[in-house]
Amino acid sequence: MSGRLASQSFLGPESDSVLAAIEVGIVGLGGGGSHVAQQLAHVGIGKFVPVDHDIVEDKNLNRLVGATAEDVMAGAAKTAIAERVIKGVNPAALVTPRQMKWQEATADLRRCDIIFGCVDSYRERDELERFARRFLIPYIDVGMDVHASQEGFIISGQTVLSSPGGPCLWCLGILTQERIAEDARRYGEAGSRPQVVWANGVLTSLAVGLFVQLVCPWHGKSQLSACCEFDGNNHRVESNRLHHARNIRCNHFRSDELGDAFFCRSE
Amino acid sequence: MTTVFRMRSDMLNIVRDDLERRHPFAAERVGFFLCRAGRLNDDGLVILAGAYHPVEDDDYLPDDTVGAMMGPGAIRKAMQRAYAAGAGDVSLFHVHMHGHSGLPEFSRVDVDESKKFVPDFFNVAPLMPHGIIVLSHDRAVGLCWRGQSQEPTLIGRFAQVGAPMRIWRGKR
Repeated sequence: MSGRLASQSFLGPESDSVLAAIEVGIVGLGGGGSHVAQQLAHVGIGKFVPVDHDIVEDKNLNRLVGATAEDVMAGAAKTAIAERVIKGVNPAALVTPRQMKWQEATADLRRCDIIFGCVDSYRERDELERFARRFLIPYIDVGMDVHASQEGFIISGQTVLSSPGGPCLWCLGILTQERIAEDARRYGEAGSRPQVVWANGVLTSLAVGLFVQLVCPWHGKSQLSACCEFDGNNHRVESNRLHHARNIRCNHFRSDELGDAFFCRSE
Repeated sequence: MTTVFRMRSDMLNIVRDDLERRHPFAAERVGFFLCRAGRLNDDGLVILAGAYHPVEDDDYLPDDTVGAMMGPGAIRKAMQRAYAAGAGDVSLFHVHMHGHSGLPEFSRVDVDESKKFVPDFFNVAPLMPHGIIVLSHDRAVGLCWRGQSQEPTLIGRFAQVGAPMRIWRGKR
């Protein structure tokens, strides 16, 4: 166990080499994904595929970890900021930045051992989970939102570990036809979705914890599936949805619906 | 050029339990993974195990020189299953197990025999990769053919998807 990771030696005698060998995809490098990239670099992950087509803007600085005012002036790519943050912590990390929509980076994402999804819309969550299931990749979804209410605003969100064979975002009620339809209705609306750094920090820390317990379990109850629901007004995390879905047999994804549907025609 | 092989832990547990059953006369059991595939950026492949089919008791031949000798029916049925499952879109990977922990080694028989029967798999799915997997109690190694007349290459990386998730290099 090397000196830098000595304080997490409880993850196992070979945890540093296990973590260094893992390749992680991070889709969306805004308020959620930037936190994930930074934490995974500290944890000792060795290979990254950060994916985001966007550049950093002034409105992102309230939450995008690692971004600076100079980056805004320079119109820096979010992928470049993630790479800088990762390599600043771990210069030996292999980073394959992809400044493009994730649907154009699938040949890299297929290689990943796990994918973190920090995307804005339910439609994209649906597509990303479908992609991950087809390639037997555990998918960790992070989502937060701020809703207006009669008494002010409600901060909420969830972190979901969706693994092949376990309940999916549809089983858990995170994805619904109504939410996807609402996405479509709001498509093109002016203004950005409300996001705050502290709520993103809670949700992404849960995501990194779920990931580490999957690959370097430090206790005997490693979880294949998880759904952590964050109540940002009462500062609580609960997992009622998973409790209800625990005995559901997922029928949204068949075990034989795998791989590239057009493999034989994609040479 | 990377080749990755992914399989779910729950299926792998079933496979290991099945391969450990005693056969009436063969020293070991064998079976087949039906797999799908995807392309990676560096001309690599990801192979995804989707189903497992054991070789039936009657499809073994008595042969004391090897652990398990498959009869012609075993391979014919496996090829038929692959064809029925995907009409040319399904990969076949022969699988057997060495009864120890740690990274298994291919025996001379594993390599020599597989070079005889794996090329036949291309008759039902000529554009898919095919191969063999050798399991241990906690690891696996594998050989992958990308074409009927090509030499096999080692599978470089394995991922066992479950809780916990295990990832290892498939070659030394």
